[in-house]
Amino acid sequence: MGLEIILLFKYVPNTTTVNVDPNTGTLIREGVPSVVNPHDLVAAEFALRLKEKYGGRIRAMIMAPPSATKGIEYLVGMGVDEGILLTDRAYGGADTLATSYVISQAIKKVVDHYDLIVAGQETLDSSTAHIGAQVSSWLGIPYVYYVTEAELQDGHMILTRQLETYVEKYRVKLPALISVLMHTLQPRDVTLKNKMKAVTQKPVKVYTNNELQLNTLCTGLKGSPTIVAKTEFIGKIPRKMQVIQGKTPEEMVSWLISKLKEEKVI
Amino acid sequence: MEGMNILDQKFDVAIVGAGPAGLSAAYYLAKKGFKTAVLERGREVGSKSIYGGRIYAAPLKEIYPNFNSIPVHRWVKRERISIMPDYESMISIDYQGKEAISFTAYLTEVVKWMGIQAESAGATIITDVPVTNFYKENNKVSGVVSGEDVLRSDVVIDAEGVNRLVLEASGIVKPLKPELVALGVKEVLKGESKQIEDAFGLSQNEGLAWVFLGAATANTPGGAFLYTNRDSVSLGVVVLLDKAIANVKDHVSQLVESLRTAPALKNYLQNLRISEYSAHLIPEDVWSLRPERLVYDGLLITGDAAGLLLNAGYTYRGVDFAAYSGYLAGKAIEQAHAKGDYSAGSLSSYESMLEESIVIKELKRFRKVHEVMKNGLLFEKYPKIMSGVMKRMFENSDGPSKAWDAINESCKENQYSMLKLLIDGYRMVRSL
Ligand SMILES: Cc1cc2nc3c(=O)[nH]c(=O)nc-3n(C[C@H](O)[C@H](O)[C@H](O)COP(=O)(O)OP(=O)(O)OC[C@H]3O[C@@H](n4cnc5c(N)ncnc54)[C@H](O)[C@@H]3O)c2cc1C
Ligand SMILES: Cc1cc2nc3c(=O)[nH]c(=O)nc-3n(C[C@H](O)[C@H](O)[C@H](O)COP(=O)(O)OP(=O)(O)OC[C@H]3O[C@@H](n4cnc5c(N)ncnc54)[C@H](O)[C@@H]3O)c2cc1C
Repeated sequence: MGLEIILLFKYVPNTTTVNVDPNTGTLIREGVPSVVNPHDLVAAEFALRLKEKYGGRIRAMIMAPPSATKGIEYLVGMGVDEGILLTDRAYGGADTLATSYVISQAIKKVVDHYDLIVAGQETLDSSTAHIGAQVSSWLGIPYVYYVTEAELQDGHMILTRQLETYVEKYRVKLPALISVLMHTLQPRDVTLKNKMKAVTQKPVKVYTNNELQLNTLCTGLKGSPTIVAKTEFIGKIPRKMQVIQGKTPEEMVSWLISKLKEEKVI
Repeated sequence: MEGMNILDQKFDVAIVGAGPAGLSAAYYLAKKGFKTAVLERGREVGSKSIYGGRIYAAPLKEIYPNFNSIPVHRWVKRERISIMPDYESMISIDYQGKEAISFTAYLTEVVKWMGIQAESAGATIITDVPVTNFYKENNKVSGVVSGEDVLRSDVVIDAEGVNRLVLEASGIVKPLKPELVALGVKEVLKGESKQIEDAFGLSQNEGLAWVFLGAATANTPGGAFLYTNRDSVSLGVVVLLDKAIANVKDHVSQLVESLRTAPALKNYLQNLRISEYSAHLIPEDVWSLRPERLVYDGLLITGDAAGLLLNAGYTYRGVDFAAYSGYLAGKAIEQAHAKGDYSAGSLSSYESMLEESIVIKELKRFRKVHEVMKNGLLFEKYPKIMSGVMKRMFENSDGPSKAWDAINESCKENQYSMLKLLIDGYRMVRSL
């Protein structure tokens, strides 16, 4: 029978330093190519290993604009079976509450059966780590985060959760939601066979609000109680760039020391 | 093959590498109805594309009927060659033409555009997938291997660029040697388009291509370049790899840094900020790099992988030549398909079409340049002699010297005879 797994992922700008528009306080995404959130690649690897061990199927789900199809293609390239894209103008501008609402309702409406939902620890671009907790709350299922290992036992899942100085073991009923501790595993590479399938067969199901019929007062900007009121910059310390002068290391060091003295640093 | 995973899906043509060569071949073939797959190891089409800054238009116009939508930054109407004896001074030759035959652009944008053309024509592009070898049946290339997976095709085009690991793996070429390639490092310096136009005295859409010799490469063989883009400047240094290993003490990236901060360029580059840094190999000794043949049973080799790049000393032509070779490879496949024969003999029309084309004609015309380039004097002695001449002519407080005296004195100072200088000059002119 195997495990029916839903993998939650986000498609994020490929940068470790997210630039925020100083005027509007929103993310500057223009010109920054997107990638699957790196911590979600770890979650994907985790799910793929479970599938290899127990059989079953993995469906990758995302609420995002249609450009996220490329992210689904990447995951299918790794070995994920299918993608589910939840996309609608009415879902835009969502905070974590409105995002988790759409995801959880979609799971209720379009996923006939699932055993496990796997999420990443957090995202690269906003890192709230809210989504996993909120989706599990909406669905009323157990939630364990920072998971590093999972094993099936008599229809339950034995989960290992890694904390700073100790390890916890959980025994949970299925279905359950887990978030995988970042850096736990090395995500595998895309293979030619799987990527070919992703690109030529496009195994992606797209749902808009026509199909999902969610109350749009609960989705997108309207359904978002969080308002990012202000983003303040941690001002950049202006730097005086200078090339160290001197021919020998000794000369360079004394040049540096004299400069530091001049600047009253030492 | 043992342990191999042969995909059910088969293509007419499989192409290794989504650069200018691979995509132009894909575009032509897909348009002609061939089921074409392009395999690219980069994350996205264009993500691995690196070059200096300008592209010659004519070959691309022939390949792409909708050339007009290609993302041009500026049309090059000005050319400048400067000899830098040191970072403070330079002797420049300026040329201002009325007709522009080349344009500046970001290669990532151009390659992405080519990818869109190929996909709209019906080609399948698979990114994130490195090809590791060719797949052979009865000694004929019949597909490509990536890891454990095999994609079969009637014929394969190799367009993997200069770092030809697949050709190496299949034993067609030997690993690259430092004396055959150059290393290019480049920075993109960003500003506003108005700022670029003011600093370089350009009007809107007008571009400058600028080459530096001498100090810019630490007086080793090679050259440095500056191209003006819409709202940025591409600044880079190219050095022959073996000479750089022997002569350049610092990291090569330091050469770009020194050029960017050179007093001689200060007024041009003020208030621009570094937005990109990249490095890549360039075919240098293209005749030695060229594989024994450009066609084998079931295989054609195009672009940089085939050594089809022109280094004219003052300019590189790689992008348009690569694209054109891909286009000709496409035509050769079309002809071979009509004969139902993909053997080397049948595909050899690719070699003969290349031979007749601008690509090989230009490569032959500039054949001797590489010899001149290897001549270290050009990059060390001559700039010093010339600067000595100029100093005597323009910075002599007793009034200017006569040019002849100035050359004579400068040669003496640099311990070089005027006769030798004349012979060198003659040789160079003959080879150029
Ligand atoms: C600078 C900034 C600050 C923000 N701060 C807040 C805030 O404080 N409160 C708030 O409510 N919103 C905030 N937002 C909005 C927030 O980015 C979105 O609601 C986002 O969709 C979910 O939050 P996250 O990216 O932090 O995901 P996380 O909760 O960190 O993600 C955890 C996991 O959930 C899954 N997941 C995340 N997003 C999706 C998705 N769209 N589809 C499917 N699975 C997904 C992935 O597996 C991911 O690894 C902020 C946005 C920005 C740009
Ligand atoms: C610093 C520098 C300056 C230059 N300046 C200019 C200039 O101003 N004008 C000009 O016309 N030319 C210039 N060139 C040359 C020009 O960039 C090349 O000639 C041209 O890009 C060659 O095109 P190509 O398609 O043959 O190879 P590439 O552009 O190198 O493309 C090869 C593609 O194949 C992919 N690939 C490689 N191996 C594999 C594999 N095993 N599996 C799958 N994919 C693979 C690569 O990721 C890449 O996308 C310059 C080059 C450099 C480095």
